[in-house]
This record gives sequence, C-alpha cells and structure tokens, in this order.
Amino acid sequence: MEVTVKIFRYNPEKDKRGNYVTYKVDADENDRVLDVLEYIKGKMDGALSFRRSCAHGVCGSDAMRINGRNMLACKVLVRDVGTNITVEPILGLPIKKDLIVDMEPFFDNYKKVLPYFINDSALPENGRERLQSPEERARFDETTKCILCAACTTSCPSFWANGEYYGPAAIVNAHRFIFDSRDEAADQRLQILAETDGIARCHTAYNCTVACPREIKVTKAIGEVKMAMMTGKLD
Amino acid sequence: MGLKRDVSLSTGLRYRGPAGYLTFILHRIGGLGMGIFITLHILASFVGGRFGGAINGIYENWAFQIFIFFCVMFHAINGLRITILDLFPKLLDYQTEAIWIEWAVFIPLYGISVFVILQTALGG
Ligand code: HEM
Ligand code: SF4
Ligand code: FES
Repeated sequence: MEVTVKIFRYNPEKDKRGNYVTYKVDADENDRVLDVLEYIKGKMDGALSFRRSCAHGVCGSDAMRINGRNMLACKVLVRDVGTNITVEPILGLPIKKDLIVDMEPFFDNYKKVLPYFINDSALPENGRERLQSPEERARFDETTKCILCAACTTSCPSFWANGEYYGPAAIVNAHRFIFDSRDEAADQRLQILAETDGIARCHTAYNCTVACPREIKVTKAIGEVKMAMMTGKLD
Repeated sequence: MGLKRDVSLSTGLRYRGPAGYLTFILHRIGGLGMGIFITLHILASFVGGRFGGAINGIYENWAFQIFIFFCVMFHAINGLRITILDLFPKLLDYQTEAIWIEWAVFIPLYGISVFVILQTALGG
C-alpha cells in the first residue's frame, strides 16, 4: 500500500525554522514506522536524521511524535497509525536536527533524583547480599521497566510550560528506588522532589501514562510518590 | 546551533492526549472562566452606576450563564475527581473509568441546568 509520510525537517546549517517534507512510500501494513523512516533515509533522502539503535523497543532512542502523540517508532505498526503519517520530534527539548532533540536537559532532570541505589549501612552478617522478599521486590517492579525514552516527560503539559520541572520520567525513576526496601535514601529523594520544580508540577493530565511504551502507569507511580511525601509512609 | 525549546499554546493543545488531557484543559478554562466572572462581578458592584449595570448585563445574559455554569460545574466535579484520585492512588488504575463516571455525572446535571436557564430566559 502507498503511505504518505509527512516529516518535520530542520537543518541547523541552513534553516532558521523547521518545515515539513512529504514522502510517498510503498509499505506493508505490518511494517513499523521505523522501517518506513529507514526506507526514506536509505532510498530517498539520506540526509533525514533520527535516532534509533535497538529497533526493538529496548534502548529508548526513537521516541517521536507520530500523528500527534508520542510513541517509539520501532514499536508502532503502519496499520496502527494509518496511511497518512505525520512524524515530528518530541516536544519541549531543543531540536538539533530533523527528529533529533537534545536529550541533555532530560538527563539533567533525571540525575536530580539520585537514580541509583544508596545504602551505606554494613552488609548483613554473612557478608552476602541484602535480601528482599518477592513482595518487597514486586512493590517497585513496574518502575524498573523504564528505558528513559522521554516519551512521558515530553508529552507533559507542565514540562512544555516549564523545562525546569523534573518531569514524569525522573519521578518514575525516583519511585523505583524510593520503594525499594534495600535502599536508604527515600527521605532524601522525597525532599528533592518537594522542591518548587518537583512533583507539585504534576497536574495529572495522564498524557505520560498513555505515551509510555513500557506500559508503566506513570501517573499512578507519581501519585504513590505524592502520597509517600504527604504521609511519610512507604507502603 | 539548533532550535530552542518552544512549545506554543496551539502546539500543546493539538497534542493527541487521552480523556484526562481534555479534562485537564477544561479544568483550566473553568478556573479562568470563574476567575474572570468573579473579577467582573466585584468590579460591577464596586463601580456601580451605568458602567456597573453594563457589566451586570453581560453576565446576566443567558449565553454567559450557560458558559459560567459549565465552568463552575465542570471545575467542581472534575476537582472532586482529582481530589479523590489524589487521596487514593490505588484508584489511578481506573483513571479512564473515573473520567467516564465523571462525564456520566456531569452531563445530566449540566443538561438540567442548561434546560432551566433556557426555559427561564426564553420562556419568560
Ligand atoms: C467547587 C469548588 C472547587 C473545587 C472542588 C476546585 C478544585 C480544584 C482542584 C483540585 C485544582 C487543582 C487541579 C490540578 O492540580 O490539576 C484546582 C485548580 C484551580 N482552580 Fe479550583 N476548585 C474549586 C473552585 C474554584 C474557583 C471558585 C475558582 C476561581 C476563582 C477556581 C480556580 C482554579 C484555578 C485557576 C486553578 C488552577 C489550575 C492550574 O493549575 O492551572 N477553582 N481547583
Ligand atoms: S516512564 Fe515510560 S515513557 Fe517515561 S521515560 Fe520511562 S519508558 Fe519512557
Ligand atoms: S530503537 Fe531502541 S527503542 Fe526503538
């Protein structure tokens, strides 16, 4: 079938602003949007720039706005988005070229929440691992699945309005450690999230939850962190 | 080199979000609408006279009443839904269903209000 693909283009060496270029491509309904982009880059326009690595929904590098909603190009099929496809960069981050955005501000926000395991107390007496029950592990299982694709943060109206807002992805990754029974820095993270540009900027628009390609219930994770902040309890 | 981060209001509004994004937008319109109404109301009472009367005329108009009733009722019911989900994060598993219930409560209530406003305005 013939697919019409309208792609946002911006060449920093020539253009003052972005523009759209339309391509007509012969594609199969079971092709992924990423396959279509690869075809255009390979056969029609080698200058087209976008990020991709794994092509299997694992690395999180190809989040983009497809028909007006954030998705991973490698996880969405042509038959799911129809034969008229518009592809644009994710919103709220500086655009470097075509579909490539500057992810640094996103990772800066991510780093603010101490997204790593912190436990300075002595190891158990046998000197081996810190044990955790299956229930304790299950408590934060969902938020371990984040691949840092930025689909959630760049779908968030609060983040669009204010790039200083840490954003849903940072809170998801804070959740991953806050509710880990082996970690000891929950209070520290909750304090960081209580800053002006922290969790209070979430107004539950749910764009993040729908955008997440890992099906993490992002708004729920944020809600649980808000509750922990209010009650001081981690259950 | 590159384009600065810049999300215009119209770009933001065109994002294809879920049901919760619509309620998010309407909540802000409702809050703003009420704010403008209350400001006008206070201003009208304060200045009085012909100018005050003219402002009164705006919001005593039935079309404005239909708008402001939407603002108040939607903001209140949606605000209640937000508050309940905030207090019981477990319910966020059913966020979509919660918004359906919200519409199921809002539409009949607002429908009756509009009916009464129109009946009073047009029926005399
Ligand atoms: C019926 C009583 C009301 C309830 C239950 C209510 C509920 C709420 C809630 C829960 C929020 C936070 C929403 C969020 O975090 O996304 C909010 C925000 C807001 N409310 Fe109300 N509200 C009420 C009355 C009013 C009135 C009378 C006004 C206008 C004077 C108003 C104006 C606003 C505004 C401007 C916002 C800010 C929205 C934003 O963050 O952009 N509200 N309301
Ligand atoms: S929470 Fe989901 S959408 Fe957000 S960065 Fe992680 S994987 Fe991507
Ligand atoms: S290319 Fe790795 S997630 Fe899509």
